Amino acid sequence: MAEPTREARAAPEERPEPVGNPWVAAVVAWLVPGAGHWYLGRRGRALAFLGLVAASLALGLALHGNLYRPLPGQPLTYLATLGCMGMGLPYFLLRYLAGYSGEVIAPGYEYGTAFILTAGLMNLLLVLDAWDIALGKKD
Amino acid sequence: MLSHFALMVIYALIVSLFFALLWRRERGARVKLFLQMFIGMVGGGLALAWLMYPFPPGPPAPIP
Repeated sequence: MAEPTREARAAPEERPEPVGNPWVAAVVAWLVPGAGHWYLGRRGRALAFLGLVAASLALGLALHGNLYRPLPGQPLTYLATLGCMGMGLPYFLLRYLAGYSGEVIAPGYEYGTAFILTAGLMNLLLVLDAWDIALGKKD
Repeated sequence: MLSHFALMVIYALIVSLFFALLWRRERGARVKLFLQMFIGMVGGGLALAWLMYPFPPGPPAPIP
């Protein structure tokens, strides 16, 4: 029988310790930018991430960028909508409560759209980061 | 209204800060990654602008 490799023998000792429930971390991280890191005790980073996502979103709104929604016959809008929905609660509040949709004739429309989409995509990355931290794979 | 350049710099600033905080844990490594990304984005944007400079701008895009 083959000798187990050094990695295989070391694996049980190196298994990371979970620092929180990854599902809770991921859901709160998605709902409110930075909340996943806050839940996991990374308070400073949580505030920084909240500030960056909020700044990107606020600038996008100030420039009257597009808050994507699915348009029939335009498959890329489905993808862009998913990206925007990555920002969590703010997307639904803006879309359904405030009725925001952007202003296509505004001079900053394209730039604003990029900022809004970036806010959603950044928060999706924060969800993945919170998941990894909760599992102990990252600090 | 902010200029195109100012918006590009702000965008690069936000994205560079975000990834520096997300991907690096030590202060020095964060600063290094931030500078690499920020200079890369702003410098790359300017370089691309200069490369496109000889091309004619063409007619304005129609408003849908």
